Amino acid sequence: MRNLAKRVIFQTLNDKRSVALILIAPLLILTLVYFLLGDSDYVPTVVLDDNAPEQLVDAFEDETLEVEQATFDDPKVYIEDNEHVDAVFEMNQEGTTITLREPSTKSSKAVGEIQDALTTLNPAAEIDTSFVYGEEGQSTFDSFGFVFLSLFSFFFVFILSAMALVKERSGGTLERLLMTPIKRGQVILGYTLGYGTFAVVQSIFIVLYSIYVLGLSSLGNMAWVMLTMLLMAGTAVLFGATISVFARSELQVVQMIPFTIIPQVFFSGLIPLDLIPYGLGNLSYVMPIFYGATAIKEVMIYGSGFSGIWMYLLGLILYAGVLYLLNMQALGKYRGH
Amino acid sequence: MNIQLQRVDKSFGDQLAIDNIDFTIPSGEICCLLGPSGSGKTTLIRLMIGALAPDKGSVHIGETKMPNMDMLQQIGFMPQNDGLYEDLSAEANLAFFGSIYKLGKKALQERITEVLNLVDLTNDRNKLVRNFSGGMKKRLSLAIAILHKPDVLFLDEPTVGIDPILRRQIWGQFQVIRREGTTIIVSTHVMDEVLECDRAALVYNGRLIAYDHVQDLLDQTENGRVEELFLIAGKEEVGDHA
Repeated sequence: MRNLAKRVIFQTLNDKRSVALILIAPLLILTLVYFLLGDSDYVPTVVLDDNAPEQLVDAFEDETLEVEQATFDDPKVYIEDNEHVDAVFEMNQEGTTITLREPSTKSSKAVGEIQDALTTLNPAAEIDTSFVYGEEGQSTFDSFGFVFLSLFSFFFVFILSAMALVKERSGGTLERLLMTPIKRGQVILGYTLGYGTFAVVQSIFIVLYSIYVLGLSSLGNMAWVMLTMLLMAGTAVLFGATISVFARSELQVVQMIPFTIIPQVFFSGLIPLDLIPYGLGNLSYVMPIFYGATAIKEVMIYGSGFSGIWMYLLGLILYAGVLYLLNMQALGKYRGH
Repeated sequence: MNIQLQRVDKSFGDQLAIDNIDFTIPSGEICCLLGPSGSGKTTLIRLMIGALAPDKGSVHIGETKMPNMDMLQQIGFMPQNDGLYEDLSAEANLAFFGSIYKLGKKALQERITEVLNLVDLTNDRNKLVRNFSGGMKKRLSLAIAILHKPDVLFLDEPTVGIDPILRRQIWGQFQVIRREGTTIIVSTHVMDEVLECDRAALVYNGRLIAYDHVQDLLDQTENGRVEELFLIAGKEEVGDHA
């Protein structure tokens, strides 16, 4: 088993693309996600009527808004004609109207700022919001960073192991290996151990990078996150090995990504599961990423320790156990079983 | 060890790949499985090494009924596609397979030097296999198959895509291995390689159409060409259907 793990490690190290895939790609994408979801200092532009009271205009200008005044008949036409304008605000006897370009982050930012401005005019209407977990105004990256930790620890190891094992099947090395006196269990555990070693390095890279460079915050102990990521990666090796049975070439592994990985992304915590209709949320139990993502969320967002995540870890281990048995079955075909 | 096949049938789906094959290969001989591609040679080898279990009948190596896990220690197998780790060096490939046979570190190191020398790859031992030529890969594949000094060596089309000079060289190596007492089963569709063997089994459409000493087989033909035996078999087949 150790000799096989050693072989897998040397073999991967000799293939620069695989090393880059597992060590550099996650950091690269994480950085990109950080900038895409991080805080932005965008200042929305709001247009008020020329006749708007001075008090109102002042209140608007005190917020992070670009305030302009103009005369217009139809606010919709005005927004269409002026590309830099995000919102038009009108207040008269008939009530208050805000017209926005489209439902987007920019629009919600404009609405938020406008509400703040109105609150300063009428302090009685102020609403204080507070959260049990996390804080107001934290970036999307802080709220959803955990999703990417779990996705990456699964996805890249899965790709690596599925491709490597398809290559072993088509290149005849697996057939040859199973015509030696090695035990089937040793083969599977050897692969898991070999790619698992890369997973250890990968999860250390990802965790250190996201905390110390990207400033991702965690309420709980990151050691539990690392443990979860390792179990995820181990499951990913076995998942990749299982999928490789159904592929004849590396290309076919790629063709199966829409069936194997993409559905899991939606069950990884991006969308709250109880919002999913028709009980489809229950599908999450067949998806390994769900267990890892939920455990990581428990630790990072809710500050749970082992007592809060053990059942998800157990779920992952059971999942890995089932995949192990499936792989034993698949390897048996090479030995006349 | 003798290899004995008794009334072996094997089908894939409803396709009968091996049809009632029954023969014995005596210990210490080179026996070739000869037949056109798709005739069932590889399936036959897989049945003998225990990669497949027969649907009917039995396969024995010595006294042991195949498939058998312990027997794998005494079997050497060179698959049709080379079965090498492209991202490892020649030596790392050998070291890995050697580690499975538990030869001991020092003995393994000596044996690796020995087989590399035998297949003439000593100077390329540290090169990655992905930089090897087709012929070099074949020779390394052979080196792996004989690394643990197997009693029985199975070679599935070992000389496909090999130039005539190298082919001669490889057959020279087979003769060396055989002189050490190893039984060799080699599949081929190159008719002139038959002359290097003690016995030949002619496989056609999953059936054994002839099995004998090579010289006796040649005596049955008019002008000493093995192809004729297949032509005769082909005519009989047409006759059967008529």
